[in-house]
Amino acid sequence: MKPEEKPKVAFFDFAGCEGDQLQIANLEEKILDLLNIVEVVSFREVMTEHSDDYDVAFIEGSITDTHNEERLKEIRENADVLVAIGACATIGGINSIRNVQDFEKVQDRVYGDERDHYEAWEKAKPAKAVVDVDYEVHGCPIDRDEFLHVVQSLVMGREPHIPDHPVCVECKLNENVCAFERDEFCVGPVTRAGCDSCCVNEGTICWGCRGMIDNPNEDAHEEVLEEYGLTAEEVMNKFDLYFAWQKEVRKDE
Amino acid sequence: MKVIKKEDLKGFIDGLIEKGEREVVGVKSKDSKYVFDTLEDAEELELDYDVTILPPKKYFMPQRETLVEYKTKKGIDMEAVNEVIPRIIIGVHPYDLEAIKQMDKVFADSPEDYNYSEKRSKSILIGVNMQKTSEWSFAGSMGNATIDDGYDLMLTDLGDKYAVEIGSSKGRELLDEGSLKIRDAEPEEIEEVENIEEDIKNKFEKELDFSPEKLPWLLAQKYGDEDFWEENAEDCYSCGTCNIVCPTCYCFDVQDFNDISLEEGERMRQWDGCMLEAFAEVAGGENFREERAERYRHRYMRKGRYLYNRFGDIACVGCGRCSSQCVPDIADPTDIFNKLWRDKDE
Repeated sequence: MKPEEKPKVAFFDFAGCEGDQLQIANLEEKILDLLNIVEVVSFREVMTEHSDDYDVAFIEGSITDTHNEERLKEIRENADVLVAIGACATIGGINSIRNVQDFEKVQDRVYGDERDHYEAWEKAKPAKAVVDVDYEVHGCPIDRDEFLHVVQSLVMGREPHIPDHPVCVECKLNENVCAFERDEFCVGPVTRAGCDSCCVNEGTICWGCRGMIDNPNEDAHEEVLEEYGLTAEEVMNKFDLYFAWQKEVRKDE
Repeated sequence: MKVIKKEDLKGFIDGLIEKGEREVVGVKSKDSKYVFDTLEDAEELELDYDVTILPPKKYFMPQRETLVEYKTKKGIDMEAVNEVIPRIIIGVHPYDLEAIKQMDKVFADSPEDYNYSEKRSKSILIGVNMQKTSEWSFAGSMGNATIDDGYDLMLTDLGDKYAVEIGSSKGRELLDEGSLKIRDAEPEEIEEVENIEEDIKNKFEKELDFSPEKLPWLLAQKYGDEDFWEENAEDCYSCGTCNIVCPTCYCFDVQDFNDISLEEGERMRQWDGCMLEAFAEVAGGENFREERAERYRHRYMRKGRYLYNRFGDIACVGCGRCSSQCVPDIADPTDIFNKLWRDKDE
């Protein structure tokens, strides 16, 4: 990026619901502040123009076939900075539930008789499994303020402040009654904070959409969940909603 | 000692709320638990609670607080921020009063922390003797089942009335504010309070098997027992819950948050915890306590030894919040300290 020039940014979507781009489109008056510091050259959800001349690429969605892979590699070559936004792009997201299921059944369920027309990988991957990723904005969907924090950090050349501790920290700061004390079970103790424990604040549980922290104690948490009366299968279901790809990578390490 | 009828105390508190000169805060229920929160009506007060989720330190050192606001449009323009709301805090248990006394020392230590001390000096603390104890509490063993100072007023439940001990001129002046029906306690009432305070000491399910004064010696001896710390820390999530709910933990992290305009921002501090992996990480990526067991040991060392060496207090008051809120149940200080005691070298 040349100094004194607004970086050109482009948004790209892969396998996902585009809910993260919707969060950005919903920035309301703050979108004007955003446009003061970056120039948007491609953003399918809000504009018809498109340009391949960009400095920063925002990637939404997981990578699920060879066509995705080639397109992402091309984007990586074009961009100085690549940012993965949303759980599908950062950790494989909901799409990676299929990573732990029988692939033929998955294909049947989704495509039925037409399944031979779709070339899809057996496992969904996040962007970083395919190319180098410079920044990540976690969550399902992303938090608008955290997105703005990451954008302003990269414009200023600063490292964004993304927590690497469990959601329990924010849950306690917010003085929530712990899900475990309400006879419920959550994966907050292994999930990356930064969401301000928003789901638990509203009386539900943490499902883990920001992915596991870098060094989770998942063995201890699996044991604890079983001690609290969950079956091994129920425990796995808790972990596979968002963590399927992460768990496999950790197992291979 | 004074005595006030319960209905008169309620009227007095409602009067303070109505007057609105200070925010009136007290213990309220939250689902099956209790919290300190703003009172809109004295009826909401639950003075027979066991323990609150967070200690009342949040009123002097908020979970998140802006320290500085800055503008960068024309050079750098910075302004210190300290949002001080005068408060009356009703229903503080003796162990939390002891913790506040310790925090007062920490934040008065040079350099004085004005964001703490100004909030603290604008607060009035109304304590209450415990009627119920949390099943995790061992405040009796730590000498904090009752307390003789650290409050402005101290209440003891005597059925349809409260005994009121005056602890400071701030407390006495507060009583003078309303047209309060209050009278001197009679000898029998004073004896009743004394009996209640004696009885509370034996009401705790958890106990330390030895005098807490021996903790600094014991922990010094057991620092190097790595197998012990590793074994006990195995199930630790490094989630910081035990730090965050602790009434004597005071560590914080400071970060600058720029506005998206890039023309202004805030310097914020937020509670931090030594159990979190990034806590002891420094520039360059080096981490002084990289292992779970090192962080786990550090918390016990702080509570029973390091802070004693610095301020002269055993920094565990026995509230039991850490153990009651630890999901894998590995944070009970009586469990760890008693195990170490049994295994000590003579």
